Amino acid sequence: MRTGLILGIESSCDETAAAVVREGRETLSSIVASQIATHARYGGVVPELASREHLRNIMPVVRAALTEANITLDDLDAIAVTEGPGLAGALLVGISYAKSLAFPLNKPLIAINHLEGHIHAVLLEQAQIQGDALPLPAIALVVSGGHTHLYLARQQHKSWHYKNIGHTVDDAAGEAFDKVAKLLGLGYPGGPWIDALAPHGNPAAVPFSFAQIKPKVYRKETQRHNFSQQFFFSFSGIKTAVLRYVQTHEMAASIEARRSTLARIPNPRAADALPLCDEQTLGLIASFQRAVVEDLRRKTFQAAETFGAASILVSGGVAANRELRVRFTAEAADRGLPVAFPSLALSTDNAAMIAAAAWPKLLASEFASPELTAVASLPLGT
Amino acid sequence: MTQATGTRVHEFETSSAADTIRVGREIVKLLAPPKFLILKGDLGAGKTTLVKGIAEALDAAEPDEVTSPTFTLIHEYEGTRHEGGKDEPVMLYHLDLYRIEQERQLDTLGLDEISTPDSIVLVEWGDKFPSVVKRANGEIVMKTTGGDSRKITVALRD
Repeated sequence: MRTGLILGIESSCDETAAAVVREGRETLSSIVASQIATHARYGGVVPELASREHLRNIMPVVRAALTEANITLDDLDAIAVTEGPGLAGALLVGISYAKSLAFPLNKPLIAINHLEGHIHAVLLEQAQIQGDALPLPAIALVVSGGHTHLYLARQQHKSWHYKNIGHTVDDAAGEAFDKVAKLLGLGYPGGPWIDALAPHGNPAAVPFSFAQIKPKVYRKETQRHNFSQQFFFSFSGIKTAVLRYVQTHEMAASIEARRSTLARIPNPRAADALPLCDEQTLGLIASFQRAVVEDLRRKTFQAAETFGAASILVSGGVAANRELRVRFTAEAADRGLPVAFPSLALSTDNAAMIAAAAWPKLLASEFASPELTAVASLPLGT
Repeated sequence: MTQATGTRVHEFETSSAADTIRVGREIVKLLAPPKFLILKGDLGAGKTTLVKGIAEALDAAEPDEVTSPTFTLIHEYEGTRHEGGKDEPVMLYHLDLYRIEQERQLDTLGLDEISTPDSIVLVEWGDKFPSVVKRANGEIVMKTTGGDSRKITVALRD
């Protein structure tokens, strides 16, 4: 008898995570190793960027997910695991463990693309909270420290289909936040620091501009994939522009003073940095964030118009940015388009999104072969 | 120029990102596998841009597909090296160890597995770890020389 319960396992990069989700719409448990580091009852989980740590975490994390969901392995309809993209060694830990659970129990194994997972993090919560699904097709912006991708997401019969219509050609948006925060002597990850400080500065203080991505820079025709470069992103230039601004305005001494003051505070927060930032610094921070958010907003909504999307969803760590949410929500309202974001817990890497993305694949009987292996640079869609 | 014996040094000047990509394509001629090179340069020096040119010349990726590995740690491209009238398969790896804090975390990246006879490995922040420096048989150093100009130095040990 079908229970609709899927165990999801995610170990593509920094996080080891496991979750149990029913029918892609009800989260029974969602365990992320770094978030239970202090829960000794789960066997002393150590969050760390190493396959060895994934190996150490995977069993306690899966056990915790089953315990919290109050089910046993026998109750599961399937086991889903991230196939890629990510670090091969880290992915293999999750894949090997998922296989070792699935085969002896004779449960289907389902392979999930990490980026598809991020899209389903939003769909899962929409179904959970709103009770009804987003109108399709949707433009999905997946934006994090490692990714900045635009997809057109559609559903045909039971299966989901994705068309990649844009991506960054250099740095991910989240990486730009990290690097600018570091340049200015703030903490890591940079996003929350910049987000908290930006409202205190003048977003028009520094005029940043995004040069159009120029195909002529490159020798070969880059139209091979037949997608318009209109929806390509580039965040390397703004990072360099911030560096030049800091140099030409001789801000090095004040940045160093801020860095060393923050280094003396245990677990410093953005509130600790605010009194250490002058008006010029706050203006730079506000202008940087405004420029990045506006670039993401403009291209996402242009894509929605071009492809006739009926809704917009934003996922990944940068989806937690408050200015991004405000400006996307405002423009969506103007255009009469529904827009959806994940909760903070589901915007960063987690396994509930993997289990949720697996449900339509279970219905369509799209199962992984026993030879499933890690694909470090797995693309999503066509 | 004083250099340790057995080290060949090649220098390039570029004046724009497009120029840096062009030099990347040119540098490929010097990179007969196996190569394991530390890729040095400050923020904004153009490290990812240079790798775009290298990947393109190897038919490993379009320039637009080569992105920064800072968060993802390792990017892998499968290509072909066209030298001396022959086509040899080559694996290009672009790594960034910026987020790696301890020597033991390097295990995750499987440096032994990627250091194959047919590989070109470019490692940003590689000089953070003595074991990585020891493994390297050269380095590429990128310096900003004002505005969009860059000086690129390729030092290869025999």
